[in-house]
Amino acid sequence: MTGISYLFLYVPICLVIMLVLETCRSDNPRRILRRSFSNFGMLTLVLTVGGALVWVINRWF
Amino acid sequence: MNSSRELRFVLLGVAFVGVLVTLLVKKSERIRGAAILLAWLVPGAGHVLLGKWKKGLFFFSILGATYLFGLWIAGFRSISWDDNPFYYVGQWGSGATFFLARWISVQKAYPREDLPPSWFDPGLLYVCAVGLLNLVVMLNVLEVKRPARAAAPAAPDPVPAALPKEPPPQPEVPA
Repeated sequence: MTGISYLFLYVPICLVIMLVLETCRSDNPRRILRRSFSNFGMLTLVLTVGGALVWVINRWF
Repeated sequence: MNSSRELRFVLLGVAFVGVLVTLLVKKSERIRGAAILLAWLVPGAGHVLLGKWKKGLFFFSILGATYLFGLWIAGFRSISWDDNPFYYVGQWGSGATFFLARWISVQKAYPREDLPPSWFDPGLLYVCAVGLLNLVVMLNVLEVKRPARAAAPAAPDPVPAALPKEPPPQPEVPA
């Protein structure tokens, strides 16, 4: 677990990037938070699915 | 990289941006040029100068916290050119990180013993990301709408509408 614990560091830096980018776009704090978290969720989903796909391909093909 | 050469290179870049903004921006918007330079020096300071102090404070605190966290992982020794030239150049995006990097990167960053060694690279990435995010914040200064000034009192109407108009002259009737 300690070997891959650095993966947890993905969460704060990704949230910081999303928050800064959304704050540049909007002045409404609720909108900033909502869009940041939804973008973070979508990016995480895409990365997870992509990672799972690569794992499956490497495992069985 | 040669230290004095690096300093000259970055300061020339900053001066170039300053001249570019001075030439391209309207005279009434020159403060925006100063705000961009200030935003480079301290994250969020450009927004504060333009009156968006909440946003400026937010940028300063979030980027500052990220930078400190990255430094903490790297043992409070910033990335040096020898550690990773790409991450090091990323710190040029902000004056604060640039000058801090010149000051404390003389000692090589190292993986802390109390943290997993695999955290070292993300720590360097955190420090680099702050510089790059500050470039985005600097560009955002160009789009900041400055708070409108209080409307000046309207000039008094030379002919008040409320005054009774003089009756039109009556045509003279011949007797």
